Amino acid sequence: MTNRGLHQRPISRRRVLQTGAGLAAAATLPLTFGSSPARAAGGKVIIGAFADGGLTPFKEKIIPLAKAEGGFDIQFLEDEYGVTLEKWFVDAQNKAGQYDMYLLDDPWVPQFGAADVLEDLAAAGIDSADADWVGPLIDMGFWPPRQGPRVKGFKDTAPKLVTVPFVGDLQTLTYRNDVYGNAPPATWDELIAKGKEGVAAGKIKYPIVFRGVTGNPIVTSWYPVFLAFGGEFFDDKWNVTFNSDKGKAAADFFVTTLKQNAPPGVVEFDSDQEGAAILGGDAGAIVQYSGNAIKSDDPTQTKVAGKLDFGIVPKKEKAIAQLGIFIAGVPKSAPNKANAIAFLKWYTSKETQAKLSEAGSIPVKRSAFGIAKPGNRLIPVALKQMDSGALPRPRTPDWGKVEELLGVELNKALQAGSGGGAGLDAAAAKVTDYLTKAGYYQ
Amino acid sequence: MSVLARFGANTQPRRTRQQGEGLDLVLPYLLLAPAVLFAFAVLVYPVWDALRASTMLFRYGKPVQGVGFDNYVRLWSDPQFLNALWVTVSFVALAVAFETVFGLALALFCAGEFRGVRILRGILIVPMVITPVVVAIVFRLIYASDAGMLTVVAQSLGGSPVEILGHPTRAFLGLVALDVWEWTPLEFLILLAGVQSLPVEPFEAARVDGASPWRVLIDHTLPMLRPVLAIAIVLRTIDAFGTFDQVFVLTRGGPGEATKLLSIYGYDTAFKFQDTGYAAALFVTMGVLILALALAAVRIMRGMNPT
Repeated sequence: MTNRGLHQRPISRRRVLQTGAGLAAAATLPLTFGSSPARAAGGKVIIGAFADGGLTPFKEKIIPLAKAEGGFDIQFLEDEYGVTLEKWFVDAQNKAGQYDMYLLDDPWVPQFGAADVLEDLAAAGIDSADADWVGPLIDMGFWPPRQGPRVKGFKDTAPKLVTVPFVGDLQTLTYRNDVYGNAPPATWDELIAKGKEGVAAGKIKYPIVFRGVTGNPIVTSWYPVFLAFGGEFFDDKWNVTFNSDKGKAAADFFVTTLKQNAPPGVVEFDSDQEGAAILGGDAGAIVQYSGNAIKSDDPTQTKVAGKLDFGIVPKKEKAIAQLGIFIAGVPKSAPNKANAIAFLKWYTSKETQAKLSEAGSIPVKRSAFGIAKPGNRLIPVALKQMDSGALPRPRTPDWGKVEELLGVELNKALQAGSGGGAGLDAAAAKVTDYLTKAGYYQ
Repeated sequence: MSVLARFGANTQPRRTRQQGEGLDLVLPYLLLAPAVLFAFAVLVYPVWDALRASTMLFRYGKPVQGVGFDNYVRLWSDPQFLNALWVTVSFVALAVAFETVFGLALALFCAGEFRGVRILRGILIVPMVITPVVVAIVFRLIYASDAGMLTVVAQSLGGSPVEILGHPTRAFLGLVALDVWEWTPLEFLILLAGVQSLPVEPFEAARVDGASPWRVLIDHTLPMLRPVLAIAIVLRTIDAFGTFDQVFVLTRGGPGEATKLLSIYGYDTAFKFQDTGYAAALFVTMGVLILALALAAVRIMRGMNPT
């Protein structure tokens, strides 16, 4: 009997089919009987976040605390800001179940809320009526909004708590105390005038720095100026009002005076460049969120440690900042939904919020602002700014498109160094056209 | 009863299987089925679904009503789409033109055998194998007006910061420069293969006749290289229409809308603004434009083919 090698053995068609069927069956076994690691592990919570310095205290101090105190095994998945909205929306809409929780930028809440892809957190046991919440922050968690105009299709819908405030971020002023003294500049005019003196004295290169990149960055930088000048974005019927005389004055001031007192390439500046300008000692002042502000006392992150102080944003008619909080939503498709909700209950408790404040992050419960030793000098200033005036962006699922249309026109005017008012008129026409087609005025 | 039957043996004549019978009949189809199903799943179904979506109005990520061809009609009155189309066509025309000229020059230079030419050919294709996102990040570090390489060099020479990404024309040209740097190697590779496959006799004859290198290029090299040139241009044009990563990282379409290509506008429309039906119409239109371009190029190539 001859012993034929494997490669010499004839392969029958039946054998090919049997082998193929066997391989296919073997490949489906893990899908059929296996359980995903996310389902198997107890206490696991997969959190999606965009990379931002405002979450550093949470990452460094609160995640280990969550493990120690609550047994939560947090998997923290970070992405660049520009891709998270689309990634998470697709995840939620397709019920992909890749995340247990999204840390959204608050203007995204209407998009997720309108698509009905997030859990009702009040129904899951989170108490939205707790008087300890900072009022405007918990308001931002509802869809449709409890106050203000509502978009078509949601006028009679009962508001649901689809998201919960996570980090109470908002714009405040960071300024150089060797240029402006121990008190922050009270007005925009004072900020520029004293800043110029600082430049003349060789202490700084530019009085101010901001973000000029088209879209969200430039609109975010312009917004506190717009609010200070007394502008209003929409009326209660979604008619565009941002190109009022006050709005145009704010836009002209932004693209002329502020540009002339900012670094030459400010048109292309995003948060990394503006952060480098203020922390590197080139700029005298900046209106910014907490991401870079909380680095101000860290000598490894700034060349001017000890020279940066915080204050409320400068005034023209008013001193109002933009609220832009991190806000947590639990997708209906979350693989560890119960864990995520349990984590949120633990995280928003008075005790954990106090520890978040100690860690240096802006809390979302009022009691946590009053602790003896907040972890960052910015925290009491943030509360002062909230009390002085801070407004969220309009609550519409179409905010992204509106911001895009406005941002392009503002960016063009900033390039030119003039024509802010005309840019607002052009943007108003485009926004009105878009909202008309979207059925806002029917 | 025969002896065999007495011992219980099967006396029926064994049935021989005929070709094309039973398993043989279905086996080819069974073997093809996975590939066909896969093609349906990843090619046919997505295209069909995109066509279907392009006739729907979406709100908040969900289809709410059929709108026929309204989305296609809307495209041609949308200034953002028209701008993106113009920017894309300009970008493709400029980038592919430079890439072809540079690629041809490099191919002609590297076609001969001289010391170190193999190493040189290897070095020349390096940009093409680097991940596009990485290339874009590197160019951002070169172009940035605050701490970019160009600014540093300019300031060390006593100049002022170089602003590229904040200026519409310069940002657009900067993007073209990035694309030329990254994709000239592809044109180089295709054209090098073409140049090396040309017959030597016509060139030797021209040299004997005393033709200058310029005349050789114009009268022999380019005419004989035309089909390869056409392939290189078509391939690169189709690819350049889909440019996304570099713009996404470098400019996000700005400043203003100076670098907003169709791919970026479509992406924003689909994923940031969740206007899925309109985005589908945009991408179907873009696909038809590219298909038309490819078909035209194929016709031109057929016309050039001496056989």
